[in-house]
Parts: sequence; C-alpha cells; structure tokens
Amino acid sequence: MDLSFLLAGAGKTMTSFFSMTYLFLFLPFCLIVYAVTPKKAKRYVLLAESLLFFWLVSGALVAYLLISAVSILLLGLWLGKLQQKQKAAIKDLPKEEKKAVKQAFLRKQRALVFLGVFLHIGLLLVLKYTGFFLGNINSLLAAFNCPFEMYIPQFAMPIGISFFSLQALSYIIDVYHGLVKADKNYARLLLFMSFFPQIVEGPICRYGQTAEQLWNVGSIKYRNLTFGLQRILFGMMKKIVIADRLDPLVKKVFDEPNSFDGGVIILAAVCYTVQLYMDFSGSMDAVLGTAEIFGIKLPENFERPFFSKSVSEFWKRWHITLGAWFKDYIFFPVTSAKRMKNLTSSARKKLGNHFGPLVAGGIALFCVWWCNGLWHGAGWNFIFFGMYHFVLILSGNIITPASKTVLQKLHIKANSAGYKVFCMIRTTILVIIGELFFRANGIGSGMELFGRIFTDLSFRSFDQYLLPRLGVDAYDLAICAVTLMIVFAVSVVNEKGICIREVLEKSNIVVRWVVLYSLILFIVIFGAYSFGYIPVDPMYAQF
Amino acid sequence: MERLIEILEDIQPDVDYENCTDLIDGHYLSSLDIISLIAELEDEYDITVPAVEIVPDNFNSAERIMKMIERLQED
Repeated sequence: MDLSFLLAGAGKTMTSFFSMTYLFLFLPFCLIVYAVTPKKAKRYVLLAESLLFFWLVSGALVAYLLISAVSILLLGLWLGKLQQKQKAAIKDLPKEEKKAVKQAFLRKQRALVFLGVFLHIGLLLVLKYTGFFLGNINSLLAAFNCPFEMYIPQFAMPIGISFFSLQALSYIIDVYHGLVKADKNYARLLLFMSFFPQIVEGPICRYGQTAEQLWNVGSIKYRNLTFGLQRILFGMMKKIVIADRLDPLVKKVFDEPNSFDGGVIILAAVCYTVQLYMDFSGSMDAVLGTAEIFGIKLPENFERPFFSKSVSEFWKRWHITLGAWFKDYIFFPVTSAKRMKNLTSSARKKLGNHFGPLVAGGIALFCVWWCNGLWHGAGWNFIFFGMYHFVLILSGNIITPASKTVLQKLHIKANSAGYKVFCMIRTTILVIIGELFFRANGIGSGMELFGRIFTDLSFRSFDQYLLPRLGVDAYDLAICAVTLMIVFAVSVVNEKGICIREVLEKSNIVVRWVVLYSLILFIVIFGAYSFGYIPVDPMYAQF
Repeated sequence: MERLIEILEDIQPDVDYENCTDLIDGHYLSSLDIISLIAELEDEYDITVPAVEIVPDNFNSAERIMKMIERLQED
C-alpha cells in the first residue's frame, strides 16, 4: 500500500483561502463537524482540523509545528518552575538580599529565553536563509577568483514558519516577563500555535490574546456566522476581483524590467501596491471572518493604511501584528537596555528632548527594520526594503521640528484637510517606491526599474497594443477601478468608526439581502476565475 | 502629578494631558516620545522602567503613568 501521500499532503490546492477546495470542501466540512460535536469536545475538533489543514498544506513538515510546540511547552514549564522557586526563596528575605537572589534567578530565566530564541530563530535561519548566506559567500569567493564553491543545501520549509516561530517566541518571552502563566496543557499550546485560519499568513497572535478564547470555544452562533461570512465575502471580492486580475500586468513588467518605459513601470508599481494590499488584507478578511464564525476574535492586521499621513503611521496601520511584535520584542527591549538608557540620558543633555532619544531610538529602529526586511525574505531587495523604511522613518523624526517651523511660516495648518490629503499622497508615493523594490526580482532588477522611471520617463508605450502585451484588457482595469471605489467608500465609512456589518444587521431584511446578493453576484460575475482556474497564491504565504 | 504633566508637555506639547486617556492608542505619543519620557521618569523619580512595563495600558493617560511610577517606587 502506497503511503507516500501521508508525507506529501495535498500540496498547493489549499494555501489560498479562496480556492475552490478550501472554500467549498474544507471549510464547510470543518464547520459541519465542529457544529455537530458536543461542546466539551469542540476544542479538540478545532485542533484536529488545524493539524489536518497543516498536513494538507505541508505534509510531513507538520512535525516542525509539533516539535516547536513541545519546545515552548517545556521551556515555559521550566521558566514557571524557576519563578515559583524565586518566589519561595525571596519570601522572608530582607529587601537588600531580595535583589541579589532575584538577579540570580533572573539570570537562569534569561538563559532559558536565549535557548528558546536560539532554537526558533536558529531553525528559521537555517531553513530560510542558508541558501542566501551561502550564495553570497559563493559570490564573494567567485569575485576573488577562488576556485572553491560551497554546497548549498535545499531545505523544505513548512508553511507559515515565519509566523508561528514569532508566536512561539512571544509566548516564551511573555512567560519570562510574567505576563502569562506557563501552560501545562500541550493541546492548548498547540491549538494556539496552529489555529488553521491564521497559520498561513497570520495575524501574529500573542498567547494572552487567543489561547483561552480558542480553548473555550462554544457553539456557532447565527450572528457570528453571518458576520463572519460577510467578511469572508468582502475579502474574496478584494482578492479575486482586484488582486488576481492585476497579477498578469504586475508579473509581466517585473519579470521584464528592460522591456518597458518609465510610464509603464510607474503603472506596474502602483498596480503591485494595490494588488499586495488587496491580496493581503483580503486574505486577512477571510482569516478574521472564519475565526469570527467560531466565535474567536483575532487581532486586526490592517487599519486603512493608505489614510496614513506619514510612513511611521503607515506601519502602525499595515501588518499591525508584525509591527507590534517588533516593537514589543526588539525596539523597546533594545532601548531599555542599561547602556542604551545611559546613551539616551547623555544624548538628551547634549541634543535636547527631541534629538536626544533619536540616538538610541535610531539604533533600535535600525535593528527593527533590518529584521523586518529579512523576515520578509532572504534577498538583498528585502534588506533594502527594510533599510529604506528605516531611513524614511528616522529622517521623518529628525525633520519634524523643521517641518513644523516651515508650516508656521507658510501659515499652513497641520490639521487642515488639504494638508492632510497632501501628507497621505506623499506617504502613498513613498510606500509605492518601497513596494517596487519589495516586488523586484532582486536588488539589481529593482534598481533597474527605479532608474528607468527617471532615465526613460515617457508614455509612448501607452498605445492600443500595451494592454494585450501586459496580459490584461480595458475591461480588467475598469472592473478593478470600480471595485477599488467600493473598497475606498467602505474604508472612509470604517475610518469614521462605523461598522457596516452592524448597520446592515439593524437594517430592513430586504436591504440586507439585496446588499448580500449584490456582493455575491458581483464576485461571481467579475471575479477572476473559471473552471480549471488556479487562484494566485496568497502573496504573504511565501514569507 | 503636576510635575509629571510638565514633563509630558516638555516632550510633546499640544496635548490635553489632564483629560486624555488614549495617549498611546490615539497616537499622541510616539515610540520615540516614550523613550524620552522613560529617561526623564527614571531621572526624576529614581525608578527603573523595564521593557515589560512599556505597554499601552501603562502609558495611555497621565494617571496611568503615575500609577506605574508609584508601583515601581514600591518595588
């Protein structure tokens, strides 16, 4: 009997939340089994469904997830035990002695945290970055005419490793800080790590946010079901009506950087930024919507990022859970280190309140953006992407006092609507430039594309042959434009704090069904799909 | 409390610190403002603010910041 399928899983047919297999087979199957299961067993069904999903996507690589959960279970319990011992040891000690005993226990706990970081980051480095590092070493050797070439091993990587590794680390660090108690229950920890809607693209959750919710799941409620399905539908519209439709255009231009003039490159960079946003935020709608059906509230990953007035604000609204992870586990720990605090104090005395913290803050920001770039992928274009944002955010902070003075002299009110729109457009342009390098096939290709915008800025290619050459037609672009207007209108309403689904809930049944059927029909008629059509893989799944 | 509000106004003016309860969630104080604030608080109140204390809940209002200071002074 051939059991090789146990190792292989179902392959790529499941990675997209909008694939026919996932949407019409896997998800309904999970919901039905979950619904008919007695309440006490629902948590175990959810765990089994999550592991089944992981196996279907990654096959035998599910072992990485299981071992990762075992490692954090053991480290967490060890940390918990040390904390208990510390508590008992300092109970009756005078204040002066307490400090010394505390420090001794903290040193041991810190060693365990370093072990956890070493295991998880080490595994991630080996699996994801070995090829990149060894490839660069080989290039260096070749540059010096060295006849030696290093062998580059190929590792199979489980889906979502960049996401669940960060969740695992956050759990260990949170236990160390006493923010959460060490969990003795392996099944609960494994469910926290593997909950199937979030395993492919996040959001990156903290143990304190979701573990208890997942463990205490209840029956599917009608309201949660309708709200969740509505959100999945909206995400589906973003993904298969806009993002997938723009894919051929983006692919063509980025794969052939020398074939197009600056005008087409600008168009492709704008389309890629739209595609990435619609793809990632659409997938997040599906993730959060699915979780909502089970009664789980996952943290939001997007808050209308293109309404940001600065690059710094943009990163508080785009991929929020990744930014928050870097802020909590890299930025603040780096700036809170004793030497950095001393640096901040002395810099503030010399440079003042504004520029003083920028010295230590700049160093921490550099660490954050170096990691952010590398997290997205093993390539120099990703590192460039990180450094680009580091420079933008740091320089934005440096020039704040000067820009305030300029605004005052020009009698421009910073909170006027016109100035806000100007800032939003400026931020969007800066983001699009960053995304151009992010999407480029390597740093050389990115430089080529960016350079051509200036050296070959013309619109001579915009003729009747351009769209067929790019693999799209006017119909595609018109549908994307109309759908983007719908998304924009919804975003404006959301920005005002109004939840459209709640408004719909309170409205007349006729209005409700007209809106829902319109959305379904819109997706059916205008979605980029057909029989035999394979949806474009979710873009963030590759990270 | 008056001294704390002076410190906050020195770091980031134009905010109603007496009434504002979402200094972090409302994006009134940036991460760099927090670094500056912590350095000032450590000097002024003779405390050490560890990274684990840097959460929105501790910095969302002047009152919450004061409570954190008092707690750290007791430690």
